[in-house]
Amino acid sequence: MIFPGSVLIIYFVLFLLAQDRAMFALKASYGVFLRILAPLAFVFILMFLMNLFIKPPQIAGLIGKESGVSGVLFSIGAGIVSTGPIFAWYPLLEELKKRGARESLIAIFLNNRAVKPVLIPVMVSYFGWVYVALLTALTILGSLACGSIISIAQRK
Amino acid sequence: MKIAISAEGPDPEATVSHRLGTSPYLIIVDSETMSFEAIPSEAGASGQHAGMHLVSLAIAKEVDAVLTGYCSPIAENYLSAKGIRVVTDVTGTVSDAAERYIHSESQSLGMTASSPPTSKALLRKDTLSGSLKKSGSQFKGFLPILIGVVLLIGLLSTFVSKDVLSFIFTGDAPLDTLLGACFGSIFTGNPINSYVIGGEMLGYGISLFAVTALMISWVTVGIAQLPAEIMAFGSRFALIRNITSFVLSIIIAFITVIILNLLGVRL
Repeated sequence: MIFPGSVLIIYFVLFLLAQDRAMFALKASYGVFLRILAPLAFVFILMFLMNLFIKPPQIAGLIGKESGVSGVLFSIGAGIVSTGPIFAWYPLLEELKKRGARESLIAIFLNNRAVKPVLIPVMVSYFGWVYVALLTALTILGSLACGSIISIAQRK
Repeated sequence: MKIAISAEGPDPEATVSHRLGTSPYLIIVDSETMSFEAIPSEAGASGQHAGMHLVSLAIAKEVDAVLTGYCSPIAENYLSAKGIRVVTDVTGTVSDAAERYIHSESQSLGMTASSPPTSKALLRKDTLSGSLKKSGSQFKGFLPILIGVVLLIGLLSTFVSKDVLSFIFTGDAPLDTLLGACFGSIFTGNPINSYVIGGEMLGYGISLFAVTALMISWVTVGIAQLPAEIMAFGSRFALIRNITSFVLSIIIAFITVIILNLLGVRL
């Protein structure tokens, strides 16, 4: 709440000092807000569907359950469908690591959190489908590269 | 209603463990939201005191019932004294046990008197409202920050001229990409904020290299949460992962824009 509160205080002060410029800033913000309104509605629907079918312990259970290619695929999938702040996942992942989950799979999970299907409507509204599809594919490939580097470092 | 179930694993498909005292996990099920929380026990570490640890956990989590295979009389006394119902001889998976218990409870409350729904239907109703609530709270969670970002963009568009932005982002692709990756690594939070910021930056003529690097590093690199990551996984892992992700965000940004150019896609 500190961040939005601080922005509101800036607006309040600006209204006192230069009302016309504050109004201009508000109008610009309104334009941005209108632009993301419809994609946000889609985001809510996707979030609801995700919460309906997938539960956090099920996601965490996928990491480290399998080895080889299936383990990697599970970690990618788990990272993509996971929600909430990253630090909320640390205790669960830490526990999995203690129970033998490979560090490379944890890295793959963490990096795939950059791929968020529920937020795609907002991203597409700004960048278009081609860009989003390409970036998603490259982000997943990048997570595999990161996992491989972690794996190599672990062996040394 | 909250139910604690002794489990062999951290997920709902794990089997219910035979003894509460030696159970590796305690899974808390909230029947309203159908959310599962797996708490590892200290069974391996503290031996005889592990059972009491799980009892304390169940009490601290304010559960209404504990489901397990076997519970010692001492533990049962403690739980009963706190008004927690203890159900023993429970077998099968955690999710099945929870489902059976919720069903039996709803029947005993007369909820099924007129048209008895199946246990799956009961769960589905719970799950729907729970998912709706959870989505609502997730949405409420990121909305204040997103509104703050949108308002800040309005301020920046009013006070920061294109000259200032072109002073920072000079149009030199490698330097801009590096700057974008640096900004993304410093800032954190929901990726939706990076999309809005990135999209608006693009509107100001900042290169797609910088915007792409910012959006990738926003999630994959976390300077703010680095101490927490070090605590959870060790400094070696956290540093290697963050440095690798930082470099990768720059490489991915270049590859993305180059491929888009080859495809003739203009944003």
